[in-house]
Order: sequence, then C-alpha cells, then structure tokens
Amino acid sequence: MTPPPIEFLLYGGALALVALGLAGLVMARHLFRSILALGILEAGANLLLVLAGYRAGGVAPILTPGTLGQPMVDPVPQALVLTAIVIGVGVQALALALALRVHQAYGTLDVAEVRGRMEADTDAAAGLEPETSRDLPAVERPS
Amino acid sequence: MNAVVLAVALPLLGAFLTPSLARLSLPLGRLFGPGLLAFCLWLLWGIARALGDATAGVALGGFAPPLGIAFHLDRLALLFALAVPAMVLALWPWGGRPREWSLTLVLAAAATGLALSGDLFNLYVFYELLAVASYGLIAANQRPAAQAAALRYLLLSAAGSALALLGIALVYTQTGTLNLAQLALLAPVSLDGPLGLAAFALLLLGIGVKAEAFPVNTWVPEVYATAPSRLAGLLAGLVSKLAVLVIVRLLLVVFQRPEATQLMLVLGVLGIAWGELAAWRARDLSRQLAWSSVGQLGIVFVAFSLPGETGVLAGLAVALHHLLVKPALFLLARHWNGALEGLRGAARRAPLAGALFALFALSLVGVPPLPGFWAKFVTLSGLFAQPGPLCSLAAVVILTATLVEAAYLFRTLTLLFGPGGEEPRMAPHGALDLGTATAFAGLLLAGVIWLQPLTGDLHGIARQAVDMDTYVDTDLPTPRP
Repeated sequence: MTPPPIEFLLYGGALALVALGLAGLVMARHLFRSILALGILEAGANLLLVLAGYRAGGVAPILTPGTLGQPMVDPVPQALVLTAIVIGVGVQALALALALRVHQAYGTLDVAEVRGRMEADTDAAAGLEPETSRDLPAVERPS
Repeated sequence: MNAVVLAVALPLLGAFLTPSLARLSLPLGRLFGPGLLAFCLWLLWGIARALGDATAGVALGGFAPPLGIAFHLDRLALLFALAVPAMVLALWPWGGRPREWSLTLVLAAAATGLALSGDLFNLYVFYELLAVASYGLIAANQRPAAQAAALRYLLLSAAGSALALLGIALVYTQTGTLNLAQLALLAPVSLDGPLGLAAFALLLLGIGVKAEAFPVNTWVPEVYATAPSRLAGLLAGLVSKLAVLVIVRLLLVVFQRPEATQLMLVLGVLGIAWGELAAWRARDLSRQLAWSSVGQLGIVFVAFSLPGETGVLAGLAVALHHLLVKPALFLLARHWNGALEGLRGAARRAPLAGALFALFALSLVGVPPLPGFWAKFVTLSGLFAQPGPLCSLAAVVILTATLVEAAYLFRTLTLLFGPGGEEPRMAPHGALDLGTATAFAGLLLAGVIWLQPLTGDLHGIARQAVDMDTYVDTDLPTPRP
C-alpha cells in the first residue's frame, strides 16, 4: 500500500481543524473554550489559504541573488494569511479582555448562564418582569 | 479620481490623531472627526459629479489590477460610499469619549473602503477592520450586559470572518486570483462546480453575520438593546447595508448562477419569518426594532436575489429605505426604551417625536404613498413576475410578514398615542436626536415628491451594476484573452 500524497494529508488536516473549530464553537459550554475553538477555526482557514499558494519545491517569495530563477510559492495567499493572523491575534486578545470583564461582572463564563444573566439585565434595564411562560416546568416558574 | 483614496485614508489617519488632539484640547478633538467626514463627503460628491455615468478603476500605488489592488468606482459604489460619511455624520456620537470618536472614524474608513474595493483581498481586510471597530464601539458601554453582548457578538462575527476567509481560500484555489474583474472572467469556467457554490455559501454566511442574515443573526437583539441608540442606528442602518453590498457585488460579478441566488432567497425568506415573528413577540421597543431590522434585511436579501436589473433595483429600494428609516426609529426610541406597556400616552407628551415615529413606522409597513410602499411594491411585482414556486412563496411570506409588521407597529402606535400614563417618567427627547430624525423625515418625504426622478436614477445605477463587460473593461484595461 502506497502512502497517500502529502497534499491529501495537509488539506485533510486543514479541513479537520476547521471542522474541529466549528464543532467547538457550537458545542462549547464555556466561553473560554469558545475562544480557543475560534483560534483553531482560524488556524484551519489560514492553513488552507497557505496551501492554496503552495508549490512543490518552491522557496519563499523573496527576491535575493540566491533565489533568482528558482520556483517560488505564491506570495498573495501568504500576504493574506499574514494579515489574517495579525487580525486574529488582536481579536482573540480583545475576546479575552471582554471575557475577563464578563467574568468580573457575572462570576461565571458558562455560555447559558452568561446569556441568562445578560437577558435578565437587559430586561431589568427596560423595566420588564423576567420572561416566563405558563408552559415552563413548574420548578422554573416564579412563585 | 485618485483623490478617492483620501476618503478612506483621511478618516483612518484621523482616528489615530483624535486621541492626541482631544488631549490637547477637547473641543478641537470633538470637531476634528466630523470635520474630516464632512470633507470626505464633499470630496466623494465632487468625484461622483465628475464621474457621472462613467465608471473608473483606481489602481492603488500605480500597480495595475491583475497584480496590484484596485478601487472600482461606479454609481453603485459611490452611492454607498457617499452614504457612509453622511450617515456617520448624522449619527456621530457627540456625547461619547475620544476613544469612541476614534473608533467611529475607523468604522467610517473601513465602510468606505468596503464600498469602493474591487478586490477580494481588500474586501476581507476592510471587513475585518469594520468588525473590530464595531466590537470596540459596542464594548465601550461599561454595563455588564453590553460587555457580554459584545463578547457573544465577537465570537459569532469572528467565526463568520474565518468562514469568509475559507471561502476566499476556495476561490483562490480554483482561480488563482482575487481581483473581482479577473474573477468575473474566470468564474463561468473555474467556479462552476460545487466548490464554487461552497465558496459562495461560506462567503454568504461569513459576511452575512454583519448583514443580519438568517442563521447568524442572534446577536442583533442583544447588541441593539444594550448599545447606545446612535450606535444601534449606525449598525442597523449603515453597516448591515455595506455587508449586503459586498454580498451583492460577489453575486453579480463572480457567482452568477441560479443556485447562488436561490440560496440567498431561502435565507432571506427564513430571515423575514424569523425576524418579524420575534418582533411581534418583543416586549420592549429597542428589541422590537432590532428584530424588525432582521425582517427588513430578509426582504433586502429576497429582493437582491431577483435576477438582473430588477433585482438590483428592488434591493436598492428596500435597502436605501431601511437605511433611512431604521436609524431614525432608533433615535426616537432612545427615551422610550422601557417596556412597551410603559409607553402609554408617551406620544401625547412628545407630539413631534410621536408624529415622526408614526411616519417612519407607516413607511416601514409600506403604507402608500410613503417610499416604503414603493420599495415593497417593486420587490413583490418582481417576485410575482418570476416563474417557480419559490418566488411565489417568498412573495406570500413578504405579504404575511407585512401583516405581522403592521400588527406590532400599530400596537406600539396605539400605545404611544393612547390615553393613560400620567406620570412623566421619561426624559424628553434631546434636540439633536429630534433634529436628526426630522432631517431623515424630510428626506423620506422628499422621496415621495421626487419619486419619479429617483426611480430613474436607481434604474440607471442598477443597469450599470449588472453590466459586467463595463466592469471588467474598467478594472482590466489590457485587452482580454
């Protein structure tokens, strides 16, 4: 049995990272895990983009006397990925800062709890009673 | 024409100068941003006048488009580019801190770039810049609920950006270029397969986060209910429209295929149903308006999914109408943000605000002769002219949604103008908010009076926007293969 070409492994790996990140974002119960999942998703997308410009045996696309005339990898995806990485780092730092603020205010980073507290806060600011339904389970109905 | 770059560069530069200027002298910092935006408005207006019916490509740094990156100037791009400084000026956060002025200028620069860009690379960068500015603006509100809403919005929006990047990667693997004009030439062959459709779906979902598209719009009520009303108006009115503009450009230039438009139609229909029903259930005014914005954006999606010139005309009509009406409603709702029940008789104590609110609400429902009626009419007649059950279904959904919309907006109006509510609990409207809303109302009424020439103009814009030969010839002056 011959091993599959390296491209399959790389593309498969990139797509697996994307799938992993998406699954993490959808299923995570903790906001910190969501932020990590976001990082994995971005890594997958970046990897796929780098692969789009990959050329077997190519060198870095920088013109120096030594590289003149050699095959080079495509610089456009690399520039785009570089931009995406920088943006990604900034956004993740911002997400962590916001998560810290949320944790300071609510004492939890559980997705459902944060959402519940946020909606209760918004309702209270608007002067609304908490939303209830007579179809709720008896334990969740306010007495 | 090269001066158009200033419309992006100056607000960006101004964003970094504003904090220092504000430290030097607060009034100077306060006036600096609006002054820059007014200059950009004047600049873009001059360019739009000079260009007239023609189109032009601007190669940044003098590198010709297949290699370099370019701005594409046509009437559609300039219309939205003009809307950016105008709307940001109208909704400028006068009461904010220097940090907010800075971020608003970044938002204006990114939005202008988004309208003008003729290259996927730049579209991505400007989209991210817009996203980051909006996170900062939402998080500028120190209330815990606003921080939580900002974090949840950031996670969704950043995931959308990653998906859009994935779509761009797919486009690049298939074509090897990111220039829209070159993509227009290559797409019929290279992006015809399922991978091309997947790329469009990813871009639609990714950019759809800002455009309040159906499955990725859960952030809308959370953010609009916690954000200051000027910011909510800016996001609902301007930013969502620019995201829609990007999607429409991609649809017209790159992904011209029935599956892509069908996808947009289905997402739009689901968005209408979801948004209007949720708005009907809402218990406070800001969330009602937020959900109604989701429904209206659904109509925009459906309208743009109509083929050819009709689609662009109908989409522009609905989008421009919403661009004008929703920020004004948010401004008026600023002091009426409590429970709907608490609004009893509020319009009697603030007659002008009540009258303006009624005018905008009626136009949103589509009561003739207000422009909202005409926008919905163009969309519906376009839908009924199309064969196929999907378009008829969409038309039926829009009609039903209009009934729902009428039901909840009339309920709100009844409460506002009804008797009761003796204690004057609410603060009166600020002169600035009322003045801005009155100006918007003036524009709306001008739309009624000059409907005929306006329709002619929009027809011209639509005709130019679907003319792909001109688009390609403008950006790629070299002879075609």
